[in-house]
Amino acid sequence: MRINPVMEKELKVKMRGWKAPALITSYLGFLGLVVWMVFVSNNYLSRYYAPSFNPRVALSAYNVLAILQFCLLMFIIPPMTGGAVSGERERQTLDLLLCTNFHPLSIVLGKMSATVAHAMLLITASLPIMGTVFLFGGIRLRDLLLLMAFYLVTALFVASMGIFYSTVFRRSTVAIIMSYLTLGALSVGTFVFMAMYYVFRHSLYGTQFTYGEVMLFLTPNPIYAFSMMLENSDMGFILLDIFFGIRRIGMAQGSGMVNIKPWAANMIFNTLAAMVFILLASWRIRIVKKPLLKKRGRL
Amino acid sequence: MLTVENLVKKYGKFKALDGLSFHIDEGHIYGFVGPNGAGKTTTIKIIAGLLKPTSGRVMVDGIDISANPRGVKSKIGYMPDFFGVYDDLKVSEYMDFYAGVYGIEKSRARKITDELLELVDLSDKRDAYVDTLSRGMKQRLCLARSLIHDPKFLILDEPASGLDPRARVEMKEILKELRSMGKTILISSHILPELSEICNSIGIIEKGRMVISGTVEEIMRKISRNRTIRIKVQGDIEPALRFLQEQPELDNVSASSDYIEADYDGNPDTLVRILRGMVKNDIPVISFSEVEGNLESIFMHVTGGVAANED
Repeated sequence: MRINPVMEKELKVKMRGWKAPALITSYLGFLGLVVWMVFVSNNYLSRYYAPSFNPRVALSAYNVLAILQFCLLMFIIPPMTGGAVSGERERQTLDLLLCTNFHPLSIVLGKMSATVAHAMLLITASLPIMGTVFLFGGIRLRDLLLLMAFYLVTALFVASMGIFYSTVFRRSTVAIIMSYLTLGALSVGTFVFMAMYYVFRHSLYGTQFTYGEVMLFLTPNPIYAFSMMLENSDMGFILLDIFFGIRRIGMAQGSGMVNIKPWAANMIFNTLAAMVFILLASWRIRIVKKPLLKKRGRL
Repeated sequence: MLTVENLVKKYGKFKALDGLSFHIDEGHIYGFVGPNGAGKTTTIKIIAGLLKPTSGRVMVDGIDISANPRGVKSKIGYMPDFFGVYDDLKVSEYMDFYAGVYGIEKSRARKITDELLELVDLSDKRDAYVDTLSRGMKQRLCLARSLIHDPKFLILDEPASGLDPRARVEMKEILKELRSMGKTILISSHILPELSEICNSIGIIEKGRMVISGTVEEIMRKISRNRTIRIKVQGDIEPALRFLQEQPELDNVSASSDYIEADYDGNPDTLVRILRGMVKNDIPVISFSEVEGNLESIFMHVTGGVAANED
């Protein structure tokens, strides 16, 4: 039994040469520098304000690292997947794959798993740096594992979306831009929609949102879900408070979804959306036609 | 091995294929010829399962491609006219990748790769990166790739295009080798002479229609009305030229510095009568022979000279 040859080939090509080790080294160097600066700044401040090390600094360092990793996933995966299929088409290698009896779904899964594996390699390689916060307590292993699971699901979602766009558009750059636009729409657009609904509702009934309504709008929002996941972080609530005056107690009322945490709901949404994108991408490849928008926009 | 029936492919109002039908027997090499834009690549892509026809039927080894495309694809080796390669792969890795795509185990893939690289004379390039190969070598590698799953039927779209004369000869030798291995091969080209030595049968397509199809001999017979004789005489050619121009069975009598050529109706009796007449009239004939019909002239005749303009 062979592993997916597309994944094997993609990983082989990605890891060959100096680029991959250079990327990992510079990324880890950057993260290490961030952690070092957080601790050094704490030591510097402690000379004037507090005589001992503040454990809260370790937590801040953890959160900063987690945010950086999350940004990495959101920014690095679209360019990695944007050319997955359109790149094969541009390189004139797609026909050679499609004339075999290899299933289109296997092509999509191979491309996606190679991209996710590459992104997760960067994240996994940074675990020792994230592990430095364990020296000071405040973070449990469970939190770290949960964060990793969240990263994995987010990576799957972004990668599958990128590959789907890659089957739709002729040019890789358009596919990449569409991935960024979609992520932007999910991150900012859902907030805007919620705000519009809030204004409409407030002017009619003058009541606050229920938790269920917030979830309805913000479940697909990766930034909201991530901010709600960060350990001891109230960032998600702070955002809601700033924009909508919603506090935890007000939200908890009148909702059957009160037990579903935002990050859990987002993970479920991302998993389902990834499955849909994978199937659509597989279908798009299978019909072996020119890209959907070729005639209209020359995309 | 291959049966194509009433194949139609429309792009909007444009008909790329217009009721195309032909048949290839097992073990035959079929030359699929036509000027650029005649519909060769469209036909080939439909047979390879890369395009869906508007209507019509394609059967490969008794399997209908629309009913069982994966079954057909396992029997076909396809080499497109334009193809890319993965630059960051070595030749052996390139072959191993496609072996994996066909589900061939690693150990077996290694053995098959060695055999095929030897067949296409690339054994010494095993560890070279694919992007360092010349155009001819890439063509041969692509041919080896199309053979990795030991298909019964090979589709080669313009395999010799862009190759220098030496590479063309090498490609021809490989095709002869494949013929001796019993493979059924469909080769497309817009240049006929390069197929004339290796094809059992040919089909000439123009504007999406099959103009003529059959064995080389059959086709030669069908259009034998346009045969040509070439005559050399000693000394002054004027008397011979005058005599030949007077003969009603001959057309297009023309003279060059060395010889005279004329078209005749293909009847051997005509040749006998003309030669006898020349001798009777004391014309000093040195040689009197038929210009051997070649596929190029057939092609030019059938397509009305379109190919000449295309090239």
